[in-house]
Amino acid sequence: MATENISAPPAKPGTNSGFLKRFAFKPAWEKLTWTWRPETKREAGDAIVRNFVLHWFPAKVSLESLSWGYSFWLGTISAVLFLILTITGGVLMFLYVPSVERAYLSVKDLEFSTSYGWFLRGLHRIGAHLMVAVVFLHMVRVFLTGAFKNGRKAVGQNRPLNWIVGVALLLITLLLSFTGYLLPWDQLAYWAITVGTNIASSAPVFGEPTRFILLGGTTIEQATLIRFYVLHCFLLPLATLWLVSYHMWRVRKDGGLACVEKRYEEAKKEEQPAIASKTYSLLGITGGTAVDVRNVMVDDEKDKVPSSPYLTVRLAVVTLSTLVASIVLTLIVKAPLEEAANPAVTPNPAKAPWYFLWLQELVTITTFTVGGFTINGALIGGIILPGVLVLAAVLWPYFDKSPVSSIGRWFPKERKWQNWIFLLIVAAILILTFIGTYMRGPFWEIYMPWQEWEQTPRKF
Amino acid sequence: MKKQKPLDEIKAEILDAQENDPVVGGPAKNVELIGTSSRRGFLKTLGISAVLVALGGQLFAMLRSLFPNVLYEPPQKFKVGTLDKFTDGGTFLEDKRLFIFRQQNTFHAISAACTHLGCTVKMVKLNQPKKVTAGGKEIDEQVEFHCPCHGSKYYGDGTNYAGPAPRPLDYFNLEVSPDDGQLIVDMAKKVEQDYRLTT
Repeated sequence: MATENISAPPAKPGTNSGFLKRFAFKPAWEKLTWTWRPETKREAGDAIVRNFVLHWFPAKVSLESLSWGYSFWLGTISAVLFLILTITGGVLMFLYVPSVERAYLSVKDLEFSTSYGWFLRGLHRIGAHLMVAVVFLHMVRVFLTGAFKNGRKAVGQNRPLNWIVGVALLLITLLLSFTGYLLPWDQLAYWAITVGTNIASSAPVFGEPTRFILLGGTTIEQATLIRFYVLHCFLLPLATLWLVSYHMWRVRKDGGLACVEKRYEEAKKEEQPAIASKTYSLLGITGGTAVDVRNVMVDDEKDKVPSSPYLTVRLAVVTLSTLVASIVLTLIVKAPLEEAANPAVTPNPAKAPWYFLWLQELVTITTFTVGGFTINGALIGGIILPGVLVLAAVLWPYFDKSPVSSIGRWFPKERKWQNWIFLLIVAAILILTFIGTYMRGPFWEIYMPWQEWEQTPRKF
Repeated sequence: MKKQKPLDEIKAEILDAQENDPVVGGPAKNVELIGTSSRRGFLKTLGISAVLVALGGQLFAMLRSLFPNVLYEPPQKFKVGTLDKFTDGGTFLEDKRLFIFRQQNTFHAISAACTHLGCTVKMVKLNQPKKVTAGGKEIDEQVEFHCPCHGSKYYGDGTNYAGPAPRPLDYFNLEVSPDDGQLIVDMAKKVEQDYRLTT
């Protein structure tokens, strides 16, 4: 073969020493890239199992798991986006100053004076928005395919637990975006965080102390900025890394993506022959069948392909495509920077970040007056409703009664009602987000997207 | 529209290809084609090169952004006052860390930063003028510079003669401002030890 060194000692198949000897004689270039072009099945397995980064993956992966149309690789895309955010964020940490006097000016420097500063900031911002969207879509996919359900309890599966970890990761992603939003210290940032923390403060009992700890005081000042900065750059990414590692480990522990469950369902339907074996009795060895050995045996190897190269190449494609899409969006969509934060001037309208606009909508429409008693919308729409949604999401896998045959499939008939109600809730959130983004003008009045906003005085 | 092969057939084809061939197939095998003169080899070369250029470009942008284009520091060239402000002998400007020496109409500026590790040297007036040979010339010196940090010593003209200092004290360029007659020191422009500004 063209790539094999003829003077290398011959490798005995199946022995470790043969592999090592062959490897030592390979030129430097091949030592770096051999995992991408395995020459034998043994090498294909080793490429995954012996690799520091890749050994999380199984050596062989099922064809169904590789399908684009099943998972759309949304989990992978969000992991890639997190990587992009970490790298751009790391560089930005050298250039941004988290002090109320300097934050805005350092962001202005980034935009106009630092070489490629606008690009770094833009890529970081686009990555953040994309990550919130992709993580949400990933959750929608997992729910609609019933991948939060256990198929084979006997093997110790706990997909509901992984679903809960996923919900936690969604909340952490939103928090990461929220803490990052304040850092430019412009009007947009300052008032978005004012709205957000005021919603948090309307929670009963814990609301005010929560706001006090978040802000590091009673007003949004230096203490707030440095707390949000440390949360954004250190604590929340650390929590994300930890939970994402557990989340992915859990997927392998559960036997892979949920789409592999149907193979076991099909195997169950087939007649399982009794396994002939020896039975050891007190009087000697007798023939016959052993007790209770009828088992569902699935030939896993039938439908699996080596991860190197099938999985690794698709991973490379997904990584590069995500990077390309993020960069193209960065070049097209400019990152906004409004005037410097001014506590005396509230912009009209003052809007939360787009992923919280549905909450802001709820908050405005759920203020009720019963008799002389007014219930603040911030409590109903901001705390209770989202709280109920999160609780419902977390508990749903334990109330779900659909059969095991509906796991790992898109829109199965058995889960029709679940999926429709879920989609209804998702649609409601999206509609509220749309209204909040495009249809709310000064004084939170309804404006059609094509209507011009009235010129309102901005200085009160 | 061409009839699609059923999924089972496609799966069987892939798995067959693996079983019968000791070399695992798949797209990565084509990496070997790089450098070959086939169309596929050319496209593969193009593809991998594009990825390397793109990633290299990203890395360059990230590293370049760490070299600032604008410095928020005081300028290196500044005015220090009108000529009559300076008496004969040495005047120490503390915040700028330099000495302005005047002899009637001749001025020169010596840096007060020790050339060893940057501490500010002290100007020491000698009780009796000393004759020293520095740079091949004999000088009658009235002052010396002593560094408190590690004991470096310099003659009045800035030449190092004791301690760990590796070279003489720096001299800076001087000029007189045309608009208000003030003395301008340019710490970005170093000059020789025999430099003098004569007004």
